[in-house]
Amino acid sequence: MKESDIRTRLNSIFQDVFDDDSIQVFDAMTAKDVEEWDSLNHINLIVAVERAFGVRFTTKEVTNLANVGEFIALIGSKLS
Amino acid sequence: MLTHDTSHLDYFRLLAQSKRYDYSACTRTLRLAVLADAAVPQLVPLLKVLLAHKGIKADIYLAEYDSIELDVFNEHSHLYAHRPDAIMILNSTNALRLKYYRQSAARATFGEAVAARLANLWDTIQHHSSAIVIQSNYVLPYERQFGNFDHKVPDAFYPLVLTLNAKISEMIRARSNVLVNDVEALASYVGRKHWCDERLWTLCKAFCSLDHLPLLAQNSVDILLSTAGHVIKCVVLDLDNTLWGGVIGDDGMEGIAIAPDGEGEPFQRFQHYLLELKRRGIVLAVCSKNDHATALEPFRSHPEMVLREEDIAVFAANWNPKPDNIRYIRETLNIGFDSMVFLDDNVFERQLVRQELPEVIVPELPEDPSEYVRTIAELNLFEVATFSEEDRRRADLYRDNARRQVFAATVTDIGEYLRSLDMQVCMKRFDAFHLPRIAQLIQRSNQFNLTTRRYNLAECEAMMNNDAEYLPMYVKLSDVFGDNGLISVVVLRKQLPELVVDTWLMSCRVLARGVEQYAMNQVVAFAKAQACERVVGTYIPTPKNGMVREFFGQFGFEKVGEAADGTSVWHLDVSAYQAPAVYMREIT
Repeated sequence: MKESDIRTRLNSIFQDVFDDDSIQVFDAMTAKDVEEWDSLNHINLIVAVERAFGVRFTTKEVTNLANVGEFIALIGSKLS
Repeated sequence: MLTHDTSHLDYFRLLAQSKRYDYSACTRTLRLAVLADAAVPQLVPLLKVLLAHKGIKADIYLAEYDSIELDVFNEHSHLYAHRPDAIMILNSTNALRLKYYRQSAARATFGEAVAARLANLWDTIQHHSSAIVIQSNYVLPYERQFGNFDHKVPDAFYPLVLTLNAKISEMIRARSNVLVNDVEALASYVGRKHWCDERLWTLCKAFCSLDHLPLLAQNSVDILLSTAGHVIKCVVLDLDNTLWGGVIGDDGMEGIAIAPDGEGEPFQRFQHYLLELKRRGIVLAVCSKNDHATALEPFRSHPEMVLREEDIAVFAANWNPKPDNIRYIRETLNIGFDSMVFLDDNVFERQLVRQELPEVIVPELPEDPSEYVRTIAELNLFEVATFSEEDRRRADLYRDNARRQVFAATVTDIGEYLRSLDMQVCMKRFDAFHLPRIAQLIQRSNQFNLTTRRYNLAECEAMMNNDAEYLPMYVKLSDVFGDNGLISVVVLRKQLPELVVDTWLMSCRVLARGVEQYAMNQVVAFAKAQACERVVGTYIPTPKNGMVREFFGQFGFEKVGEAADGTSVWHLDVSAYQAPAVYMREIT
C-alpha cells in the first residue's frame, strides 16, 4: 500500500474516532492538536487502525509513537 | 436481549450509534453506577445505546479507576449521591492476579479473604442504598502453574479462582440485593485466549479486549432489563422444519423427521430445549400454516414427539397471516408483544412478522437445524432477576387461562360465568415464603399497575418487617381450572387519618374476574380496622398502564387533583363506600 493511501485511510479513521469530519492529519500532529484525543480515544484509535489495516502493534510500538508521521511509517512497515 | 443476531454487537458500530442516538425517545430512566478495578470508560457509551434500544435512558456514574472501596465505604461518596437503581461491580482477573502475586504468604486464605471483601462491599451498599448490586465473577486464568496437577494444589491461582467463583455464587444465593454478572461465562464462550487484550491491560488497564466489550455490555444490559421487568414470557413456534423436519401436510406422520437419531435428532434436541424453557415458566405457543387437525396430530400421537398438546398454551394452526395469529396469541395470553419471541425457519415469515410487529423478537435461525439451540442460546433471551416455585407452573397457568377464555365465550351471563368458576381467594400480609414471587410481580406488571413503583426483593422485605407503617398485602386465587397462584399485590401505608395506596398491581391473567373488587372491599375493611377515615389513591401514568386510569373512580373515589404529567390523586370517604358484589369464596 502506498504511503498516500495509508494517509487517506488513516485520515478517515481519525474522523470516525474523533467524530469530526474536518480533521486533516499531518506528520507533526500529536494528541495536543486534537481536543478529543484523550487516553480513551487513543486506545480506540489504535484498535480501529489495527482493524482497518489488519495489523497488530506491540505495546512498545504504541508507547513510542511520537506523532502521526511515525504512525503512518509504522503502519507502512507492518504492511510491507 | 438481542432481537435478531449477535452481529450488531460491534464495538465501533455501537460507539458511533451512541453518539448520534436520539435519547429523547426513551420513556424511562435508569440510574446506574459502574465500579471496577480495571478501566471501563469504553463500556459507558455501549451501555447507554443498548439500553436506549429498549426505551431506557441511562444516567451513568462511572467511578474513578480502582476506587470501589473508596466509593462504597464512604456514605457521602459520589456513588450514593448519584442515587443509583443499580450498581455494577466489575472485578478483573488481571487485577486479582497482581494481588495474588504480591501476597506470597497466607495464600491458603487468599480466596476466602477476597470473597469476604466482596460480601462486605455488598452488605455495606445495602446499608446505604436500595440499589441492586450486579457483581461480576472472575474470568478463569489461562495459566496453570502446575499444569493439570493444579487441581491438587488449591492455592495455585487457577483452582483458587475456580473456588472463588463458586463461593461468589453461593454468597449471592443468600442475598436478595445481589445478582451475578457471569463474565466468566462470556469469556469462556469467546475463549479465554481471546477475551483479554494484554496490550490494552498494559497500556491502560482495560478490562477486556474492545472486540468483546459489546458482549459484556449486552450481558449487563440483559440483567438490568430483567430487573426493570423486561422479560420474555412466551415463545411462538412454527412447526414444519422448525419443530420437526419436513412438512406434516405433505409428508404425513411417518414422513416427518423427529427421531432421536439421524435427520430428526436436531429437532428432538430442540424440542427438549423448548420443554426445559416451559418447565421454568416460559409459555409455548404454536403459529403454523396448516390445517388445525393435521398440525395437532403429531402432538397427540407421534411416539417421538417431546412436546405434547398440554405443553402448548395457545395452538394457532390455520391459513391466516402469521402476524394475525401472533396478535391472537398475544390477546389470549394477555401479554405484551415485547415479551414474545417468534421462531420460524422461513425467512419470509420472519421478515413479515418483524415488519408488522416490530416489538416481537424474531431471531435469525441458521439453515442447519442442528445449530438452532446454540443460535438461540447465544442471544440470552430468557434472563430473569427472580425465580420462584410458582414459575415452574407458570406455563400451565397460562394454558389454563387460555382454556377459561374459550369457556367464557360459551357463557352469556357474566355473574353466572364467574360463579361457575368456583373461585377461592385470600389476601394476606407479605411473608418470607412469597417474597420472591411478590418482588417478581412488582418488577413485571406493566398494564394493571397504578403507580409502577419497582420495589426489589430487599425493599419488599423491609416493608414486610415494618408493621408500624406498612400493610403490604398479596392476593392468591384459584378456580375450577387450576391454581392461579399469587396474582396481585397491594401495598398500603398508614398515615392516620389516611390509608394510602402506595402500590396496587395485578397480573393481567386474572382481569375481569372480580379480584380487584374483592381486594378493594378488603382495603376498606383494613381502613376501618385502623380507624382511618379516608383511603387515598394515586395513579401515575406510563405508556402501558392506560387501562387503570379510571381505576379508583369506579369504586367511588373522587379525583382531587391532577398534575401536568397526568398523575392523579383520589380520595374515598370510608363511610360512604359501597361494596361491589364479588363471586369468590375467601379461604385462609
